[in-house]
Amino acid sequence: MNKGIFVFIEQREGTIQKVAFELLGKANELAETTNSQVTAILLGHEIASQGEHLIHAGADEVLYVDSQDYQHYVTEYYTQALTAVIKEHEPEIFLFGATAIGRDLAPRVSARIHTGLTADCTKLEIDEETGLLFMTRPAFGGNIMATIICPEFRPQMATVRPGVMQVLTLDESRQGNIKKFYFQLIKEKNKIEIIDIVHESKHKINIEDAKILISGGRGVGSKENFNKLYDLADVLDAEVSSSRAVVDAGWQDRQRQVGQTGKTVRPNLYFACGISGAIQHVAGMEDSDLIIAINKNSESPIFEVADVGIVGDLNVILPKLTEALKVKLNEK
Amino acid sequence: MDFTLSKEHQLLRKLFRSFTEEEVKPLAEEVDEEERYPIETVEKMAKYGFMGIPFPKEYGGEGGDNLGYTIAVEELSRYCGTTGVILSAHTSLCASPIYEFGSEEQKQKYLVPLAKGEKIGAFALTEPNAGTDAAAQQTTAVLEGDHYIINGSKIFITNGGYADYYIVMAMTDKSAGTRGISAFIIEKEFEGFRIGKKEKKMGIRGSATCELVFENCKVPKENIIGKEGKGFKVAMKTLDGGRIGIAAQALGIAQGALDETVHYVKERKQFGRPISKFQNTQFELADMKTKVEAARLLVYQAAVAKDRREPYSHFAAMAKLYAAEVAMEVTTKAVQLHGGYGYTREYPVERMMRDAKITEIYEGTSEVQKMVISAHLLK
Ligand SMILES: Cc1cc2nc3c(=O)[nH]c(=O)nc-3n(C[C@H](O)[C@H](O)[C@H](O)COP(=O)(O)OP(=O)(O)OC[C@H]3O[C@@H](n4cnc5c(N)ncnc54)[C@H](O)[C@@H]3O)c2cc1C
Ligand SMILES: Cc1cc2nc3c(=O)[nH]c(=O)nc-3n(C[C@H](O)[C@H](O)[C@H](O)COP(=O)(O)OP(=O)(O)OC[C@H]3O[C@@H](n4cnc5c(N)ncnc54)[C@H](O)[C@@H]3O)c2cc1C
Repeated sequence: MNKGIFVFIEQREGTIQKVAFELLGKANELAETTNSQVTAILLGHEIASQGEHLIHAGADEVLYVDSQDYQHYVTEYYTQALTAVIKEHEPEIFLFGATAIGRDLAPRVSARIHTGLTADCTKLEIDEETGLLFMTRPAFGGNIMATIICPEFRPQMATVRPGVMQVLTLDESRQGNIKKFYFQLIKEKNKIEIIDIVHESKHKINIEDAKILISGGRGVGSKENFNKLYDLADVLDAEVSSSRAVVDAGWQDRQRQVGQTGKTVRPNLYFACGISGAIQHVAGMEDSDLIIAINKNSESPIFEVADVGIVGDLNVILPKLTEALKVKLNEK
Repeated sequence: MDFTLSKEHQLLRKLFRSFTEEEVKPLAEEVDEEERYPIETVEKMAKYGFMGIPFPKEYGGEGGDNLGYTIAVEELSRYCGTTGVILSAHTSLCASPIYEFGSEEQKQKYLVPLAKGEKIGAFALTEPNAGTDAAAQQTTAVLEGDHYIINGSKIFITNGGYADYYIVMAMTDKSAGTRGISAFIIEKEFEGFRIGKKEKKMGIRGSATCELVFENCKVPKENIIGKEGKGFKVAMKTLDGGRIGIAAQALGIAQGALDETVHYVKERKQFGRPISKFQNTQFELADMKTKVEAARLLVYQAAVAKDRREPYSHFAAMAKLYAAEVAMEVTTKAVQLHGGYGYTREYPVERMMRDAKITEIYEGTSEVQKMVISAHLLK
């Protein structure tokens, strides 16, 4: 019998992060092929009551540590707890979300356990022949997909990119054990003291990290008209970026400029609204996964790089698109 | 064949030189530091008739020739590359095409004030996607009634913002390729025309280099130069002439750097004697001087060929190619011979080195000049 698949449940201020549910979904699927169990590892303060929810989301068992020391993420404390969990239970597989916390925690745990870790995986599957976990991740800026195995050491560890795996539908009839995990925390080893946790206002501009960018060019016409882009961005949970012409006109902050002398972006979706597509702009966005161009001039060079091209007035199209998307997303 | 300048040209050179020493030299450093357009110098140049040297008196010009104009750009550039290119863009790139290709009405309306220096001119061909490949124009001009409606943008336009009149290329017929390009005279005040971003540059920092934006810009039908579809020819011929101006600018920069260096090496002492006593210094200076003289003959040859109405595109290309390379080389050596001081902004040679580089790039890169020269050679 396989020794099980463990999932690190990331919580922030007591709220379980979405990526944890995605990992439970994936773990559940892997457990089916290997005929094993899914264990959720929950660390936090006054958090045990949330264990049930994890069972409904796909865990067979929850191990929790409930203590003041675990209220916030502290690398050393978390590492000690997970190392102890692994030593005691010897799982086959251990999954983390590839978040800032997961990326900090997983390598420390793997080094202390002395096992392999694959970072930022986008695909996980069990190889039928060997029973090994095939961990696939994009390498070299996404140009190569590498599939990595960890044949000898255990557990096989991976951090998994958030948003890639499917969340299971909650099943309230599921039953499972929720157990406290006991171990001896050695506080002296900690070298980090949290002085303050600052919540940055959501509007710190970081267009490079946005999954969706609504980008406006001179064709937007005015600073006020950019509101139409922000409206769409709100609906899609996207950021707004721009061409240099817009920055020069003072309609946008320089931080939002895409292009050779601005930022290079490669979001999943790039809306080019009223952007002609000068090479200095295109060089900064042509690697976006999907490019949708809205321009009233059908001869604009932007259409050469666009996957979807709409010839028309963005002042008319954007509000309609925003409305339609609102309706569609509400249906969901 | 005669390698001495005529009396007239010698007098002209004296005039330009004293103007440069009195008016241009004192401002050169400030204009560079502050990236400031030397508008007061331009006004004085207008007063002295520098803005219309090669045009006939009946069109407001001085009735001079291209050699005289070339010497003017050379002399101005000896101390200030910025002032040199302002005059060159105005004369060669804006007034000239109106003189060569414009109708009588256009000459009266536009050439006369340009040549008198009452108005300043600029030339707009380059676009974000059309630099060396100038035929890849995306700016469009559509005839609607009495007006052409122009849409698009231009970048890197010398005298942008300060110029009153702009020669602008736009596509009137996309399907016709280079034969679909037309040239227009556009006034600063025309509806739908706006000056965009001013570039921050390595050199010639006082010369305003700007983006031009046309948003449904209304241009009267009669402002087209020549016929529809003739714009590319106008542009190419204009650049042939403009290249003599840039060659003269490069020549002037090189000469200026050489003068500074000769002066400096006689004063600076190391190992108990002036550095001019070291043979390396002497040989470097000999090379610099020889190259500058060779460049000068090429530049003057091109100007004289144009004055004689002989084919001169290849001469202009060779002059620009060589003079620009010489300017780059001579200014670099000038900095070297100045030692650490040459690298500081207390001495003018570092500015000259920065100014020199652009002459290898604008009005056709050195590579383009080689295409023109080899095409002439192999035709
Ligand atoms: C040194 C240098 C560096 C540069 N670096 C960058 C850079 O990093 N990033 C960058 O973006 N640019 C850069 N540029 C500028 C670049 O060359 C272009 O000038 C710029 O990208 C043009 O911006 P745009 O597409 O917004 O404007 P435009 O080229 O003016 O295009 C506007 C477009 O909007 C369309 N339009 C107008 N009204 C409407 C409407 N109502 N509905 C729909 N469409 C409409 C028009 O058809 C047109 O295609 C640089 C330029 C230089 C000289
Ligand atoms: C300060 C300044 C002032 C200017 N003033 C004006 C002005 O007043 N009006 C105006 O219209 N323009 C003006 N320009 C634009 C200038 O003429 C262009 O920058 C120049 O022609 C080069 O075009 P590009 O910058 O697009 O370079 P590119 O065409 O992108 O060239 C990049 C490099 O590739 C090389 N290259 C390109 N094609 C070929 C080829 N087929 N074979 C070999 N090599 C090739 C070039 O030689 C160059 O080395 C100005 C530019 C500057 C920087």
